[in-house]
Amino acid sequence: MTQQPHRPRRALTALLLLTVLVMGLDVAGGPGPGLLRAGGGAVFGPVERLVDRVAGAAPAGVAPVRDGVDRAVLHQRAAVGRALDSLVAGSAGAGHDVLPARVVAVGRQGPGGPERVTVDVGSRDGVRPGLGVVSAAGVVGRVAAVAPWTCDVLLVGSPDLTVGVRVGATGVLGSVTSGARGGHPRPAGQLGLTVVQRGQLAPGDAVTTLGSAGGVPFPAGLRVGEVAAVDPAAGVLAPGAGVRPAVDPTRLDVVGVLVGPSRATPRAVLTGAG
Amino acid sequence: MPRPTLADLVALLVLVLAALGAATLGSRLASVTPDLVLPVVVAGALLRGPTGGALLGLAGGWVVDLVPPGAPVLGTDALVYAAVGLLAGAGRREGQTSVAWVALVGLAASAAAEAARLVLALLSGAGVDWPELVLRTALTALLCAAAVPVLVRLSHVLRRMA
Repeated sequence: MTQQPHRPRRALTALLLLTVLVMGLDVAGGPGPGLLRAGGGAVFGPVERLVDRVAGAAPAGVAPVRDGVDRAVLHQRAAVGRALDSLVAGSAGAGHDVLPARVVAVGRQGPGGPERVTVDVGSRDGVRPGLGVVSAAGVVGRVAAVAPWTCDVLLVGSPDLTVGVRVGATGVLGSVTSGARGGHPRPAGQLGLTVVQRGQLAPGDAVTTLGSAGGVPFPAGLRVGEVAAVDPAAGVLAPGAGVRPAVDPTRLDVVGVLVGPSRATPRAVLTGAG
Repeated sequence: MPRPTLADLVALLVLVLAALGAATLGSRLASVTPDLVLPVVVAGALLRGPTGGALLGLAGGWVVDLVPPGAPVLGTDALVYAAVGLLAGAGRREGQTSVAWVALVGLAASAAAEAARLVLALLSGAGVDWPELVLRTALTALLCAAAVPVLVRLSHVLRRMA
């Protein structure tokens, strides 16, 4: 009887310590948290896909009349079809093997906006960690974790993702990462661009991917964004700039996973024609 | 509290539904969405006290962390919601409590949760979208004020049934 009140408190302490341990392991890149994520994806991923399919049929505000629902289904299908067409025809899909997918969940929005999204393709469709993800507008991010039916995508602008880029017509080399990195704090929603050598940067310059070895995650020439504001050059070796991303992460719907040389892809793969 | 009661299991189920709802809602609404998990944690904590509230918050936070796409670092939301549960649990009063008090605890909890996330973001150096942050805190506080009394009433009914 006297022991009873202490038991929940002890359990709480133990669980809190365990949580801190998992956090430490995740930051250090240990093996356990990856398994936990995959487990979470395998359990909750199919539910999110199902919700997307059910809720996607009838957007909120549609009258519960059969005609209305049918019209909504047609409209939704047409919208997805248009987005898919522009993805395949647009520059982002040109010449690359693109696995079409839809965003089914968005991560908790931090003070700077979302950093991760979930899309409805997974290891069963041939997706593996490290592949690039694009939309019709440009680069979206990189696959971070894969579950059987879904995968989690790290968005461009997350501190954990750095993309090698070329800037402007002259093709100045640089890298783009979260706006939080570097000496100049940027407004929320802007990416940070660092140029590896002295070069000319001007607002409005297009920022495109440099290209990775083997085209994974990113082939060369995909649109990342455009230079929004160039930092003052006084006292720095290489100029930096804020980049307005080409893709609005809060309005993502149809995206494409850039599959490299794949072994097995149960879902049909489209080849860009643009 | 050696074994989970019916109310605990229902609370956990509601937490899972809220976390899934928040993740899927975010993919189809471009606007700011309130925190759906927080009212459940606050309602549970008001019934269970600080320790029970922290345990419920920890469980809810883990669900949020594990529902894809999850947190950038696993366990972050678990600790944030555990702290919120502890805080809201300290607001438990014996006997009948007024709706105003429940709403006040909800407001304090939503402010505390956003403040914790703000500190985490500032530590990592990320940019802060202030208007969105204020709007989300206000929406979450409103949702708490509306949903917590209902959830507390529901739990009482469940306890009477068990």
